[in-house]
Amino acid sequence: MASVLHGWRAARVTPLGELHTPPRMTAVLLRLTVQVVLVASLWRGLYAHTGTTAGLSRDQAVTYAVLAVLASRLRELDQSAGRDMVLQHMHFGTIVYWYLRPLPPQRYYALRALGEQLYGLAWALGGYVVCLAAGVVEPPESAAVAGVFVVSMLLGQWVLYYVMLVLDQLCFFTIRNNSAMLILIFAQNLLSGVYAPLWFFPDWFITLSSFLPFQATLSVPLSIYVGRIELSDAGVQLVIQAAWVVVLALFTRWVWRRAARRVISQGG
Amino acid sequence: MIGSIEVRGLSRTFHTTVRRPGFAGALRSLVNPQKVAKHAVSDVTFSVAAGELLALLGPNGAGKSTTIKMLTGILTPTAGEARVAGVVPYEERERNARNIGTVFGQRTQLWWDLPVRESFAILRDIYEVPKAEHAARLKEFDELLDLSSFWDTRVRHLSLGQRVRSDLAAALLHDPPVVFLDEPTIGMDVVVKEQVREFLRHQVEERGRTVLLTTHDMTEVERLAERVVLINHGRLVLDGTLDEIRRKFGSTWQVRVTLADPHTEVGSLPGIALLRHEGPQAVFGPDGPDAPTVHQALKQVIERYEVTDLALDEADLEDVMRAAYVHAEASHAETAAEGA
Repeated sequence: MASVLHGWRAARVTPLGELHTPPRMTAVLLRLTVQVVLVASLWRGLYAHTGTTAGLSRDQAVTYAVLAVLASRLRELDQSAGRDMVLQHMHFGTIVYWYLRPLPPQRYYALRALGEQLYGLAWALGGYVVCLAAGVVEPPESAAVAGVFVVSMLLGQWVLYYVMLVLDQLCFFTIRNNSAMLILIFAQNLLSGVYAPLWFFPDWFITLSSFLPFQATLSVPLSIYVGRIELSDAGVQLVIQAAWVVVLALFTRWVWRRAARRVISQGG
Repeated sequence: MIGSIEVRGLSRTFHTTVRRPGFAGALRSLVNPQKVAKHAVSDVTFSVAAGELLALLGPNGAGKSTTIKMLTGILTPTAGEARVAGVVPYEERERNARNIGTVFGQRTQLWWDLPVRESFAILRDIYEVPKAEHAARLKEFDELLDLSSFWDTRVRHLSLGQRVRSDLAAALLHDPPVVFLDEPTIGMDVVVKEQVREFLRHQVEERGRTVLLTTHDMTEVERLAERVVLINHGRLVLDGTLDEIRRKFGSTWQVRVTLADPHTEVGSLPGIALLRHEGPQAVFGPDGPDAPTVHQALKQVIERYEVTDLALDEADLEDVMRAAYVHAEASHAETAAEGA
């Protein structure tokens, strides 16, 4: 047990940093409120003269879009202000400390990310409860849908963790990852359905997207929640999500080893 | 041996790409990059006994930090071997991490957005230090470094002196027998520097820690180090006590005496040359490589002659090290010329 808990306080790094910076929390609250209001208004406006589009009713589309905004908070914390991005550690040379502690860097990274995602989850849950109470989002159709959604969301966040990790691992080889980060954030938002549900895109785009891990992060769980993916089809989607978890876990494990070799050949 | 450092024939070569000058050169470098080998550390051998403080000195780019990185396990040597507290650091990095504390003066290991005490708590958890032990050590460090006056402040708001004191405490909270300090007091004011020196002295003398220190601050070396290892161009130039180094390179001391009897016949003493003699005034200096230390010379002069007054001009360590660097540069140039 002690071994499992070893280094658990690393999970507190980002949430504590946020709690010690009230202006940042105020900014998140404001940004989230504005985004939810605008997104809900936009989708209601788009559906003003139509019934069902791309297989989604107005309420389904608004629910999907608002939940996408809330879910995007899960990993969008301001690490740069806390000088805690891998990019910054590489730049300032403080990455050496990750290799000078009796806690493997990959474990430290995972614990830190877990803390971030739990903290982001608190925000997302708070926003969800408010939006549900205000009637902005619809509740899930049944307890079964809610249960499958939770499992799918968990797997989606796991995939997202690995996607972010790949980006951070890039820093070990390129020192900078700004451009890659911009491309990835755009791709992640577009292909996961944050900008708009993937069901609105042409078939070729949906096919292309199915070969990438992004839709497994958000589009799949949200589509299950709003009922666009039926429970009968959800099993396949969960298997695909789990497969992405396995593939990305193996890939990032391999990259961690190469990153460590790079650090110890360059001396940080 | 617990706490000792053994370095045998340690070498590290980096392979870098040389960029050719000009546009055409840059294009050629792109298509056909030219790799060159840079020997950052070459065949360095030394040891540090448990409970000893050794200053690893050398000009910028001499290979000090590369050596420290190999000893901390974050860099693998190209050749040679190192053992830190009985562990080969680059082979058992995590085991080595429990035995060492490290401060890189310019880089902090603390979390920028968190109060110092939170950083300490995270490190306690990472190093699995029992709570009571952690609290006792924190109390001890607070008494020496006055940490409690700022440990609830976020790291981003600390002054450099406060930050380095916190980093020192962070590096030692898990009670490592070996400590590596890479220019820990760089940029700090004299008051804080003295506080840090006092802390280090306490850690060596009272806690028996082995410390390997790199610094450009000769006052620090003088106050703390028992022994000095000087490296230049990656090679070990000198390994000895401060007295030995002074003897070898610090040949500028002079003892000026006023003789009680101006007619005394004055001459050279073993290892001591008479430089000038006018009336009652006589000036002595070191003579040859076996010259005594300034303190021994003083004793000899007083024992031999009756003096009414004396003055001492001693080259400070900075002058001595400058002379050592210049000597090392000249030797390196000579070796390079012979090689060519």
